[in-house]
Amino acid sequence: MSENDTEKKVADRYLKREVLGEGTYGVVYKAIDTKTGQTVAIKKIRLGKQKEGVNFTALREIKLLKELKDPNIIELIDAFPHKGNLHLVFEFMETDLEAVIRDRNIFLSPADIKSYFQMTLKGLAYCHKKWVLHRDMKPNNLLIASNGQLKLADFGLARIFGSPDRKFTHQVFARWYRAPELLFGTKQYGSGVDVWAAACIFAELLLRRPFLQGTSDIDQLGKIFQAFGTPTPSQWPDLVYLPDYVEYQSVPAQPWRKLFPMATDDALDLLAKMFTYDPKVRISVEQALEHRYFSSAPLPTEPAKLPRPAPKRESVNPRASDFHPLEGPTVLSPPRKARRVMPDREGFDGNAYQVDKIDEHGEIRQAAGNYTGRNEQVPMSIDFSVFGSRPMSRPTINSADRSHLKRKLDLEFQHPE
Amino acid sequence: MAANFWTSSHYKQLLDPEEVDVVQPLDKDKGMTLEDFKLIKMNMANYIWKLAQNVKVRQRVVATAVTYMRRVYTRKSMSEYDPRLVAPTCLYLAAKAEESTVQARLLVFYIKKLYSDEKYRYEIKDILEMEMKILEALNYYLVVFHPYRSLSQLLQDAGINDTSMIQLSWGLVNDTYKMDLILIHPPHLIALACIYIASVYREKDITAWFEELRVDMNVVKNISMEILDFYESHRLITDERINIAFSKLALKP
Ligand SMILES: Nc1ncnc2c1ncn2[C@@H]1O[C@H](COP(=O)(O)OP(=O)(O)OP(=O)(O)O)[C@@H](O)[C@H]1O
Ligand SMILES: [Mg+2]
Repeated sequence: MSENDTEKKVADRYLKREVLGEGTYGVVYKAIDTKTGQTVAIKKIRLGKQKEGVNFTALREIKLLKELKDPNIIELIDAFPHKGNLHLVFEFMETDLEAVIRDRNIFLSPADIKSYFQMTLKGLAYCHKKWVLHRDMKPNNLLIASNGQLKLADFGLARIFGSPDRKFTHQVFARWYRAPELLFGTKQYGSGVDVWAAACIFAELLLRRPFLQGTSDIDQLGKIFQAFGTPTPSQWPDLVYLPDYVEYQSVPAQPWRKLFPMATDDALDLLAKMFTYDPKVRISVEQALEHRYFSSAPLPTEPAKLPRPAPKRESVNPRASDFHPLEGPTVLSPPRKARRVMPDREGFDGNAYQVDKIDEHGEIRQAAGNYTGRNEQVPMSIDFSVFGSRPMSRPTINSADRSHLKRKLDLEFQHPE
Repeated sequence: MAANFWTSSHYKQLLDPEEVDVVQPLDKDKGMTLEDFKLIKMNMANYIWKLAQNVKVRQRVVATAVTYMRRVYTRKSMSEYDPRLVAPTCLYLAAKAEESTVQARLLVFYIKKLYSDEKYRYEIKDILEMEMKILEALNYYLVVFHPYRSLSQLLQDAGINDTSMIQLSWGLVNDTYKMDLILIHPPHLIALACIYIASVYREKDITAWFEELRVDMNVVKNISMEILDFYESHRLITDERINIAFSKLALKP
C-alpha cells in the first residue's frame, strides 16, 4: 500500500459483504479485495467506551501478528483506519475446528484427526519459537481455510514471553483448556500452558466433545483429577508451592484406554505426555511434533482432502451458545484474585508489564495505579542521564572528558585483531 | 541478544544513517536544516521523558515511545505531524503496546501543567486521532527491542558488578535515545558501545572480554564514537537554537 493512499481509497479497495460474526471487540465482515480479487475477512475494531483510543486487545493482536508469518498462523494482510475505526484485514477462513468437531455429519478418520492436530501443533511450534504464548487455544480459535489449512487465530490474549521467571496473569484460556498450574494460580508459567490446551483439543477431536467441562475453576480441577488422578508429590513436586494450592481428596487415575477407547497406543502415549501434571516435565510442542504418533500409520490426511462442514451460512451469530465455556455458572473467585499485582521487572525485550485486571468475561483492563517509575533491581538513574528533570540537564559524560576518551578509545581498539 | 531479534520486524526495519537523516520536502521548504530536524527530535525525546516521569511509566515505555517518534519522522514531515502532538501520542501508544496503559486524560493534564505555551495545547481527541495516524505511519509494526536487556546480560557476562560502572552504562544507554541509533543499529551493539565507553571512562580493562565476543568491534567502535560526538555537540545546544528550529516549523510555506 502506498503511503499517499487516502483513508477513503484504502477502504474502497475492499468491497464489503455480509457480516461473518461478532467478537469481543468488533464485527467481522466478509469482503473482496478489489486489487487482488482475494476474499478477505475485515475486523472492524470498536472504539473503547472510555475514550481510550485503539482497543488494547486489538493492539496486542496487531503487534504480535505483524511479527508472525507462518502457514499455520492467520495472516494479517492489512490494517487501515476508516471513519475513526481501525480495520484489520485477515485472510478469509471458511470455517473453524469447533464447527468441524461439532458437525455430526462429519466423520473424522484417525488420519483426519492427525492432520488437524498436526497443523495445530505446527502453528503453535512457530509461536513458541518466536517466544509468543498463544494463551487462548481452543477449537473456535483454530480457523480453517478453503484449502484445508488450519491456522491459529485470536491473538488478543497472546504475549511474548522471555525469561523463565516472568510473571503473568493466570486468568487466560477458556476454562476447559486451562492447565492445572493456571488453575492453581501460578504466575510463572511458560509454553506448557499452550501444550495442555492443545492436548485438550486433541482429546476433543478424538471424543467429539469438549473433554474436561468444568463449571468453575474448582470444578475444572476436580474434572482433571477425576480423569488423571490427584497429582502425587513425586509427579509434581512444586504443586504445593502454587499460590492457590488447596488439597483435593485423593482420587485414582482412570486407565487411558478407558478415557479414550478409540485411540491408538501412539495417540495415548502422546496424550499422556502432553497431559503431564508437572509443567517442567510436560512435553514441548516441538517434541510432540516428533512423536511417533505423527510418523506411524495412518499418515495425516492432506489438508485439501480433510472433511469440512458445508460453508457457513450468512448469519450474524453462527455460534451456538451451548458451546461457550464462559457461559457456565459465574465463577466467584476470592477477592484477592480479582487484581493481580505483578512486580515490575525489565523482562524480555518487547514486553515487560505489570498489572492485568481481568474480569469474568475475560476482558483485560489495566488496573489503576500500576506505577513503576522506580525499579528496584535496575540501577537506572534518571539524574545520571541527559534526560534529567531539568530542562537542558547535565549529560552523563561531559565534553571535557570526551576528547580524552576518544583518544583512549582509539588506542584501545588498536591492538585487538 | 534475544534469539528472535534477528527474525523480528525491528531487525528488518533497521535503516542506514542516510535514510534516517532526511528532512522531508515540506520541512525543507520552510528552511529546516538537518541540524534543526535533529534538534527537534532530541527536544521531543526530552518531552516524552518529562511526561513519562509525571505519568509514571517504566523506562522501556519511554524508550519505545522515542523509537516510535523517530520512526515516524523517517517517513512523515514535522509540518504535517506536529512534534508537540506526536511526542505525547507516541508515549500513549507505547504504553499500550508495552502493556502498561496511560490514560489520555492524564497525559493532557500533565501537558497543560508542564507547558503554558499554547503550541503544546492538545486535547484527548487530538491524541486519539493522532494515535491512528501514527499506527499507520509505523505501518503497524509495534515491537521494539532495546539495549537494556542485552546490557544487563552483557554486564553480568563481563563480570561487572560495581554500581558505578553499571550506572554509567545505564545512563549512557538512556542518552542514546537522544540520537537515532536505535533506528540504525541492533540494540545489543548499542549496549556494547555503552559498556565500552563506560569501561574506558572508569579505566576498567575488559578488552580481553571484548575480544572474546563474536561481534564486529569496528561497528561497536563507530557507535561509541558517535555517542561521544553527540556529547561534544550537546554542549553547544542552547534553548535559543531549539527555538529557532521550532520557529522555522511555524513558518507558512
Ligand atoms: N479470518 C476470518 N475468516 C472468516 N471468519 C472469521 C475470521 N475471523 C473471524 N471470523 C468470524 O468472526 C467471528 C468473530 O471473530 P473474533 O475473532 O473477533 O471473535 P471470536 O473469536 O468469535 O470471539 P472472541 O473475541 O471472544 O475470541 C468469529 O467467530 C468467526 O465466525
Ligand atoms: Mg475466538
